[in-house]
Parts: sequence; C-alpha cells; structure tokens
Amino acid sequence: MSTLTQAARPSLLRRWGGLLLWLLLLALLAIYPYTGVTGSALFTATQVFVLVTLASNWNLIGGMTGYVDFGHAVFFGLGAYSMGILVTRVPLAFSPELSFWQALPLAGLVAALFALIIGLPTLRLKGPYFSIAMLGTFVAMREIIRILRPITGGGTGLDLPPVLNRVNEYYFMLGLMGLVVALIWWIRRSEFGYTLIAIREDEIGAEMRGINTTMHKIIAFMIAAFFTGIVGAFWAWQNTYIDPDVVFIEQRTVEMVMMSMLGGLGTVWGPPLGAVVIYFLQDVVWGNLLNFHLMALGILLILLVLFLPEGILGSLGDPSSTSLGRLLRRAGRRQE
Amino acid sequence: MDQFLQALASGLLLGGFYAVMVLGFSIIWGVMGVINLAHGEFRMIGAYAAWALFRAFGLDPFASLVIILPVMFVVGYALQTILLNRVVERPHLMALLVTFGVSISLANLYKVIYSADPRSVPVSYNGSFELFGVTMPIVKTIIFFLALLIMGLLHTFLHHTRLGKSIRAAAQNKDAARIVGIEIHKVYAITAGICIALTAGAGAMLSPTQAIFPFMGPPFTLKAFTITALGGLGRIPGALLGGLLLGVTELMVATYVPGIGTNLGVAVSFVLLVVILIVRPQGLLGGLRPMEVE
Amino acid sequence: MRRTVLLLSVLLTLSLLLAACPAPPVPQEAQPAPAQEEAAGEAMAEEGAMKVIRLGAAVSETGKFAREGKDTRQGYQLWVDWVNDEYGGIKLGDERYKVELIMYDDESDPDTTARLVEKLITEDKVDFLLGPYSSGLTKSASAISEKYNKIMIEGNGASESLFERGFKNLFAVLTPAGNYTQSALEALAAKGAKSVVIAYEDTAFPTSVAEGAQKWAKEYGLEILGVETYPKDVADVSAIMTKFKDLNPDVFVGGGHFNDAVLFTRSAKELNFSPKGMVITVGPSNPKFVAEMGPDANYIIGPTQWERTMAYKDEYFGTAEEYAQRYEAKWGEPPTYQAAESTATALVLQIAIEKAGSLDTDAVRDALHSLDIVTFYGPIKFDETGKNVAKPMGAIQIQDGNILVVAPEAAAVAELIYPMPSWDER
Repeated sequence: MSTLTQAARPSLLRRWGGLLLWLLLLALLAIYPYTGVTGSALFTATQVFVLVTLASNWNLIGGMTGYVDFGHAVFFGLGAYSMGILVTRVPLAFSPELSFWQALPLAGLVAALFALIIGLPTLRLKGPYFSIAMLGTFVAMREIIRILRPITGGGTGLDLPPVLNRVNEYYFMLGLMGLVVALIWWIRRSEFGYTLIAIREDEIGAEMRGINTTMHKIIAFMIAAFFTGIVGAFWAWQNTYIDPDVVFIEQRTVEMVMMSMLGGLGTVWGPPLGAVVIYFLQDVVWGNLLNFHLMALGILLILLVLFLPEGILGSLGDPSSTSLGRLLRRAGRRQE
Repeated sequence: MDQFLQALASGLLLGGFYAVMVLGFSIIWGVMGVINLAHGEFRMIGAYAAWALFRAFGLDPFASLVIILPVMFVVGYALQTILLNRVVERPHLMALLVTFGVSISLANLYKVIYSADPRSVPVSYNGSFELFGVTMPIVKTIIFFLALLIMGLLHTFLHHTRLGKSIRAAAQNKDAARIVGIEIHKVYAITAGICIALTAGAGAMLSPTQAIFPFMGPPFTLKAFTITALGGLGRIPGALLGGLLLGVTELMVATYVPGIGTNLGVAVSFVLLVVILIVRPQGLLGGLRPMEVE
Repeated sequence: MRRTVLLLSVLLTLSLLLAACPAPPVPQEAQPAPAQEEAAGEAMAEEGAMKVIRLGAAVSETGKFAREGKDTRQGYQLWVDWVNDEYGGIKLGDERYKVELIMYDDESDPDTTARLVEKLITEDKVDFLLGPYSSGLTKSASAISEKYNKIMIEGNGASESLFERGFKNLFAVLTPAGNYTQSALEALAAKGAKSVVIAYEDTAFPTSVAEGAQKWAKEYGLEILGVETYPKDVADVSAIMTKFKDLNPDVFVGGGHFNDAVLFTRSAKELNFSPKGMVITVGPSNPKFVAEMGPDANYIIGPTQWERTMAYKDEYFGTAEEYAQRYEAKWGEPPTYQAAESTATALVLQIAIEKAGSLDTDAVRDALHSLDIVTFYGPIKFDETGKNVAKPMGAIQIQDGNILVVAPEAAAVAELIYPMPSWDER
C-alpha cells in the first residue's frame, strides 16, 4: 500500500499540495462555460463529471472498504425515481426549477435510507456473496419498480418537465463532483478512512481491536448511496424522462467498477482519472470502431485485469508491481 | 385443479431445464471459486451453434450435441488455460471482471456475426401431447429427461472415476490436492471444459423453444445465481432442487397472480436470491465448498 | 501524490480542450441561445454555387437498436441521394437548395443521443432535425430540439407519451402506437370474433399498443377476457398461455419485441393454445420472422406501418412498390417499414419546407400543420400535438409463408383467414 505510507508522512506540501492543485483545477473549470464553448461541449463535460462522481462514490465502498458492490446502480435508480415521483406526482413548488431543489436532498435520503436497510444484512456477507446479493437487489428493484405502476408509471416510466439549462447543469455537477472528491480526499486521511482500509485488509483483525466494523461499513455505504442517489436524481432531471430500462442498467455499475479499477482501487484520484480516461477512450477511439467498440471494451477489461490490476495510479506508485509498470519504468530509464 | 396441474407440470419442465443450464455455472464456482459472468453467453453460443448446424445441414438440435459438446469442451479448456488460470488464485474481483469482459466481448462478437435479429430452430416435433389432462410440450419434455440423464452421468463421473475424484479433491482442499500430486491447473481446465460444454449443450437443447439472439445471455446468468444460491454450490442434487424450486415458484406466481403475474414471478426469483444469501448463505442443501472461504 | 494530481489535472484539462475542440471559433455564438437558421444556411452557401440546407440526425449504428437504426439510416440516405441527384435540390422560391445530412451514431444510449442532438444544433448548426430510432431515444432527443426551438420530424417513435408533453416542434409521420391494432381488430370483429385476450411487455411502446388495443376492442364490441403483462427479456410465457387457454378467447393480441413474437408462437404451439386469430404486434410483418419460424408462422396477424403492396403513391417516389424497387436497387435488400417511414419523414420535411418557402422554424411549423397530403407511405395530416392522424395502420396475415395485407380494405390484397386452423389440424 504505497499511498498509505506516503500519506502517513506528515510533509505539509505533500498533505496539502494535492488539494491546492485540485482547487486550482476547480477554478479553471469554473470559468470554462465562459470560454466560448457550446452547449454540447458543456453537456459533455457534465457527463464526465457525472461519471467521476459515480466512480468516486463507488470507490468509497468498493475500493476503500473492499466491499465490491455489483448493484450500486440501484441507488442511482432510486434517486432518479425519487426525483421523478416527487416532481411529477407530488405538488412541491410553484415552478419546476424550485421543485428540483426540493426533491434533490430527498432523493439522496431515500437512497441512503435504502442503503441502511439493505446494508445491515448484506454487509455481513463476505467476498463475492455481497457482490451477488447487491446484484440481486439491483435486479429485484428494477422489477419492483416495474410492478408498482400506479406510483412509478411501470414500464412506461415518468416524464419530467423538460427544463434544460446546460450552464446550470454544468455548475451543479461541477459543485457536486468537487464536494464528493473533497469528501473522499478527507475521508482517506481521516480516522474513519483508515478504519475502512483496516476493514478491507483484515476485517476480523479490525473487529478484534474493538472497531465497530458494522457501523463503519454502513456509514461508508450510506454516504456512497446518498451521493449516487443525488446523481441519479440529477440525471433524471437532465434526461427529462425515466423508465426502468434506462435507469436500472447494469452498464452503469460496470462503468463505476471499471473506472475505479483503471484508475486504482482505493485511491482518491484514481477513480476520477479512470472516469476521464474511459470516457474519452470510448468516445474518441472506439467511436471509430463502430460495431466493434463494445467488444473492444470487453477485451480492454480483460487486459486491464491481467496486466494492470492495480490501476494506473497503483502501478505508478510502485512501478515494479505490474508488467506494464516495469515496462514504463524501463522506458523512463532509457530517457534519462 | 387442472390449472394447478398444468402450472406444476410447466414449472417442473422449466425447472429441469434450469437445473441443466445452471450445472456448469455451479460447478465452476464450486470447484475453483470463480463466478463465471459469461455463463449466459456460452449458452447463447450453444444455441447459435445448434441453429447454424440446423440451417446448414438440417441437423436436429439434439443430434448436434454430438458436435457441440466436444468442440465446446475444447473452448472451455482453452479459456481456462489462457485466461482463468491466471486469475483463479487472485482476489475474486479479478476473476469476476475477466469473465465479465469475456461476456461483453462474446455478446458483441456474435452481434457482429449474426446481427441482432432473433433466430429460431423450427423442429417438426415442437407440438404437444396430452398426459392426464395436462398439455405437455414435446421438446421441453425431452429436455427434462435428457437433463436428468446428464445429471446422472455427471454424478457418476464425479464420484466413481479417478478424474472426477481429483476434481472433487481440488474443490475441497486445493493445497492438499496439490500435495498428493494433482495438477490443479490441469484439473481446473478439464472442469471448465466440461462445464462450458454442458452450458453450450443446454443452449443447443433449448434452441427450438426460444428466440436466439446475441444478448440473451445476461438474464440467464442472473437466474443461475438464484438457482445456485437456492441449491448450494457445485452440487448436482442442489442444482436440480434449486432449478425445480425456482421453476415451480415462477410458474405458480405467474399463474395465480392476475395481470402482473409473470412480472412478479421474475421479481420473486431475485428477491429470493437476496433473502437466501442473507438468511442461509450455504444454500438449502449445503455446498461443496464452505461458504465463508475468504 | 503530487505527481498523480498533476497527471490528473493535465488529463482533465486536455479532456476539456478535446470537448471544446469542435466548437466553432466564432465567439459571439458562444451562448447556447436559439441560433438563427438562416445565418447558418447563408454562411454555408457562400462556399459553393448551390445553397445548402443542413439536416442532422442521431441514429443508432451500434447497441440494441443497431438493426432498426440501419434501416432508418438507409431510409434517410435514400431520400438525400434522391433529392440531391435526381430531384435537383429542395425548391425554395426560385432557388434550389442542396441537402447535407449529418448523421451520428447514438449507440442506442439516451445520454449519447442527447449529447449528439445538442452537438448537431449548437456546433453543426443544422436547420432541421430528423428523429432517432425508438420511442425512448426520441424522448431524449425531442426535449433538446424543443429547448432550442428546432423542428424535429421523426418516423420511428410511436409511443403516445411522446406527444403528451406539449412540445410544439415534434412531428411524427407514423401511426401512433395506440392505433397499431385498430385495423386488425376491426377486420377480426367483422369476421365474427367476440372476445380477446391481451399480453404485452411492460415497456413504453407495447403499453401504448395494449392500451390502444383495449380501446379498439371495446369500440368493435370484443369482450376483453384477460390482460397480462410480462417483463423485458422474458424467457418463459407458459403461465400466460396456460391462463389464456383456459379463458378460450377468439383472439389473442400480444407482443413487445421481435423476440417475443418467436416466444409467443412457440409457446402457443407447445401448450396447444389455438385461438381463432393471433395478432402479434412486432415481428410478423418482417420477412425474417417467416424465415425463422417456418410453417408455424402461418395465419399469424400483425400490424404494419407500411407494405410495398399498399396502394399509396406520390409524385416524388411513385407508388409504394416503385419506392421498394428503388430501395432494393440501392441497398440490395427489401425495405422494412422502418426504412420506408424514415424516407417518408424526410420527404414530408422537404414538402413542408417547399410549402413554407422558407427555412424559418415558425413558417415550416405552420406549413407542417397545414399539410394534408398522400405520400408513397400513406396519408399525412398532423394534429396539434404533432401526431399523424390521417394514416390508418395496416394489418398483414402470413398465408402460406407470404406476408399479405388483409386490412384495411382499401389496401388489402388478400382475404383474412378466420378462424385459423388449430395447431393439431395443420
């Protein structure tokens, strides 16, 4: 755990340098809409923020705590449906824009509450059994949403008011992404974060040292669910309609897992990096492969696991740990 | 009463198919601890193979098993040797991701080859016969009895042959098996070969009753989870029990709940999965492997 | 740590640059406000001798709608080549405008659709939009075209809910989902059918079809004995078939997608469920259904948006059959109705532009609303929500392996066979 030892060194620059750079980047991003870009460029950036936020959230439970959640999109879906139901079925406010802000925290809370209910029993499960239980929860929830037609609109779904404003959406997601990444950064350095990593490395040992592992796991799970729910609610608003098959798609969980993996599980900056890389790889490179691009995605995943299992950051931290890392190091040495 | 008998018969036939479909998944998981997320895709490949053989040579899907089983054994053997043996002793997430990668690649490869249009094998004997006032589909009845036969053969193989015994030994205690001179990776490759062949065979058998399309796999992989959780890992009687239980439950719910019955049947099967994992994670019959291995 | 953050910042900045790259260099265009179409059109015209009308569409080339997306693309492209090379460009007053169609692959994904439609409007500065394939993607796309006040005319989103959102810029040439089963049920009732059962996939489009079917069943005096839903990707419908068999209905109406058509036919035969008429919503009108199912496909009835044997014609493509021949000559395969409705979509836009004599959104919208014409695809007349209310849905029946139109009477080429022989009589 190279990052662990690095972070433990109390060098002021090392401790705060990262945050400083991140703030600088945030400021840069904040003026982005005023640099003459079009709505679609803003929308693209917003989509990247969505992915970064989702991947970071997943990383909190899947990477840091080591509970590989294969159904995390269930919280996305619950958030989206909470937004959809609150906006279309409950008279909240006078204008659609206002009702968005009222429904947003509720959507997050619904997701977090569900995380509490489902997490209490499932987080006791070890290894793949947790993954499968969450996958089952995810699919079951999709079918339940379908059946609850009077509330959820069934398979037809719900239409949200088409109030779109790309600039506002951009700033909203930028803010949310900043908040989530900062939170993860803080958690990673806090007592709470160390406990999560202790649970990942040796749960029984942590328990024996008197740590209430259940409580820590549940809290991490709820935080991850809360923000995933918020993102889901935002997505519902931005897409202007939801139905079970656009909201509850396995692909969304897969993206979260892959992005975290590619960047480096359990690191703060890995999942955002992975999200950016995958988004643009998909868009720029594989867009040209047309029919083969999903196949290429599958093959990339296999290669990633075989040759870069610790992700980009993990491999950079300890170059000799993977074959690609060794290759990179050799290339670097030749340059010097 | 008639409706009940009909639902029961349909449920049992569906369950028999579920059982043979899930075997390969359950044994791979039980023996080497790998959850094969590409399971449904191998079933899809089997169905397409049966379809292609039927279209090209007019070969009956059941007869085509003679070709499909050995070919897919080689495919499974190769898959294990090239890919899975590299991750089998690493954290389980690695194997999950590799098989998931295989799943996406295969489904999309088949989409490129065969297009997304559904295919179907129109055998001449796809009608029905009456038995005690219950309508029995001919093809599904054949599948049911063939499934029982396959399970019987496999059981005999695992318990009464040297190779079968080494597979079970590898499942129960990898290190001990190594010490007594069993080549674990080779045993794993043979296991994977058998399981992939079985799965593709199940797909081929089902091809006359369903639409065949490239993305038919994932729903079956999910069902396989439920059945395995119901019956326990890697056990043939468990797979049979789990399959029958799920088949009958789905059909009963679908028959007796008006309007949304079929939806509810599907939902129930996944709720059941979560509940079983929480309440009785070793499955109803217990498994080949201790559940708390990690 | 710092190194990784640096790396991340560099990557993020790079990615933003990438995102901004295709943006036009004109700074005053920066605000995503409704752009003036004429400005873009004229700017383009200076380059060549002929003025240009830019059209855009996001249509699936990959993903779950790849197959239908291909038909849609070919349908659009056929019109583009025809209008430029044969027709000589769209007539606007005395001038002829060349058509430039920009098509992107939306990967059958709503996020990508939204992004590409936004890109078409704000970066490619298209004058008008053509629709994607499927109701869901049309929903995503139309919200954006509405926001930028761009007309989107589509031929592949039939779900009724598309037209219940109060959009004023969305037009659809196809018969909406609610009317899919109308002709079939009318013809069956006329032949003496008295009762009906309905099974449908619980997603947007089949739900609209099924709700319509219930409405029309009541209208034509058919008693509804049972209604069942099933989830997407269902693998077994034995329970539905068993229940329906006990109800002993005259007519079965079912369906969602092509796969379900195969499943329903197989299950009906396996369980010896023989209604007097079987209507399956999607699948039967596709020649591939007959090819895959063999003789079991016979007597099955299906709705169809369009068939080449229909008696419609116009002054542009001639008769439906002539259109089909043109399509086959160009693409080497017979046109599906998805292809025909895509061509019709573009053709209707052309007619409206010519009628309006302008590229102005409001003028073209008014022209679209005032249209009352017949094309090779069928009659076109939009109501205030943008639905085509003039075109009846056709119904086909598979007879001896041939797909023959049996309703409505005006378009029929064969007599409806009712009741169909039961499975053991064949």
